[in-house]
Amino acid sequence: MKTRDQEYRELFMAEALEYYDSMSRHLSELERNPNAGPALNELFRLMHNLKANARAMGFADLGEVAHHLETLFGLIRDQERTFSGALIKVVFAGVDALGNMIRAVGADQALPDATALLDNLDRLVRGEEPILEEAEEAESEEESGKKMELSDLVYIQVKKLDNLLNLVGELVIDRDRIMTLAQEIGNPALLATAQHLFRISDDLQYSVMDARLVGVGVLLNKFPRVVRDVASAEDKEVELILSGQDVQIDRNILQIITDALLHLVRNAVSHGLETTAQRAAAGKPTVGHLTLSALTERDDVLIQVRDDGRGIDTEAVRRKAIERGLTTAAAALDEQAVWALLFEPGFSMASKVTDISGRGVGLDVVKMALDSLGGQLRVESQLGQGTTFTLVLPTSIAVKGALLVEVEERPYAIPLMHTDTVLALQPEQISVVGGMLVTHVQGQAVPLVPLQLLLHDEGDELLPFADKADMTGAQQVLVVNYNNRRLGLLVDRFIRQQNIVIKPLSKPLDTIDLFGGVTLLGSGQVCLVLDVPALTRLFLTKRP
Amino acid sequence: MLGHSLNLTFPNSMNKRILIVDDSFYMRTMLKNMLTDAGYEVVGEAANGAQAVEMAASTSPDLITLDVILPDNTGLDVLKSLRQIQPSAKVVMCSAVGQEVIVTEAIENGALAYIVKPFSEEKVLEIVGAALQNDASEQAA
Repeated sequence: MKTRDQEYRELFMAEALEYYDSMSRHLSELERNPNAGPALNELFRLMHNLKANARAMGFADLGEVAHHLETLFGLIRDQERTFSGALIKVVFAGVDALGNMIRAVGADQALPDATALLDNLDRLVRGEEPILEEAEEAESEEESGKKMELSDLVYIQVKKLDNLLNLVGELVIDRDRIMTLAQEIGNPALLATAQHLFRISDDLQYSVMDARLVGVGVLLNKFPRVVRDVASAEDKEVELILSGQDVQIDRNILQIITDALLHLVRNAVSHGLETTAQRAAAGKPTVGHLTLSALTERDDVLIQVRDDGRGIDTEAVRRKAIERGLTTAAAALDEQAVWALLFEPGFSMASKVTDISGRGVGLDVVKMALDSLGGQLRVESQLGQGTTFTLVLPTSIAVKGALLVEVEERPYAIPLMHTDTVLALQPEQISVVGGMLVTHVQGQAVPLVPLQLLLHDEGDELLPFADKADMTGAQQVLVVNYNNRRLGLLVDRFIRQQNIVIKPLSKPLDTIDLFGGVTLLGSGQVCLVLDVPALTRLFLTKRP
Repeated sequence: MLGHSLNLTFPNSMNKRILIVDDSFYMRTMLKNMLTDAGYEVVGEAANGAQAVEMAASTSPDLITLDVILPDNTGLDVLKSLRQIQPSAKVVMCSAVGQEVIVTEAIENGALAYIVKPFSEEKVLEIVGAALQNDASEQAA
């Protein structure tokens, strides 16, 4: 959980402690050699920086002490004062006081009073003798002798965390393998050790994943400025509401969706929201509202961009889709299916259309970013009321929940993100419509296709006409969902659900887009991870 | 394309490249956040004079924010080097109060403006925007 203010505070603390350590070091050097030029320059610079940073953070007293010491070191450097006598005592007391103040900031406590010290520093700057109080001085010396602290924070490059996560991925694969072997061998001691290894590597995996999490706020907090600029360029009044900044997500996922989110937000302001005059004419509040929110839903993170603008004109999109020959069935599509067309590359790249209430510009790009993460993009809209885009994102990049299925004695993994439901259908629940197998799920017609047909597909020929004559017994169906389209995949059997670590396919296999990667099962078997968007697209182009 | 074409403009900030020179990581981070939020591209962050000169040559920034007090050189020496190797880059000095003498000298040596620490986001953007727009104007906060 890190807001920008917290981030600044942590940076400030880390640097302030570093400055304090350097100050102490340079002071000792100065004590040995009162004319050490570099040490004086450094002390001056460190005080100067601490002053500026403390003031920026709003720690006025801390800034004040640093400012006085900066002035004093400036005078010593310019040889208007000498580092000797009572001045040394006050300077040491001053640096100790800075240390105490910095620690108080770190502990969220009130800063210790520095009036007497500031008084003495003032006197020294003016060239007067300071007033030293023996008792107080002794106490502060004793106290500073006890405290020696390193910063609680370590800054680390993301690529080091990436590397760590990759190694954990390898470890998890071997762990699963060892677990299976132990079960096969059946030695109780081996089994107990394997189980312990299982738990530890699980903890390790989650710790590494946890270290990569950042608050969504680090991205959301960048938007007030973006919205302000787009709104003023478009001459619109927009109130931006942010929520869920503390929701945690993998830093790299946030990085990948940055452009997509920027796109959606800009689009919402320039096209989703109406001008002040248009809103007034429609009887809506003149200020448009844009909400950017993040929330956690089960293992996913949902980021929503909601506007109360003009909404999507479904009929106009439908007309356009038919006109462009994108789908002949557009007339029969429901709202959701029509909106899904907005994400089709062929659609949004289409030539100029100006009569549609401004959605769809480059939405396919947003969709692609989500696909690459195994995420989902949803849209909800009501004409005249507004539009909501929802980005469904995995919390972590590395580990995904998946359903393992078997086809022709081979296992395949299908990410849970895209699975809708699992069905066992009797042949009479399946009908043949236009050469396609179809069943009804919750009143909606869902096409079915044997997964093996898609896997074996080659060349440009369409899939063969479906025939259910030789279907006997219950048919195992996995209903997948992509871009509001449901498709039932017929499989031989369901194996189980498990978390998998997906590894990218190596060359030359990486060009086969039906597979999103590969994972190793505990049995040592290689298991291909199916890419549901690609499967759906293949089915759409190849259906008879 | 469906709908109106996306016509988004960040006045002044689009494509402007900025190099930040400050020895405090905290200050650099704050400045970087303010500038990138406003649509500027921060092409580099230098923590000392040598880095600043090297990065100015390799990144050709449109504007450089330069801290007055740096570990290896004074900001003034760095300013002179920067003016030589990257004369087209506009330089805005950054300084906490108390360094007015150096700042005045910096303006005389070609810096366009100065930002006083602690700074507000509005002030930074105002000064940087003005410096980028107008070569001749000498801004002061």
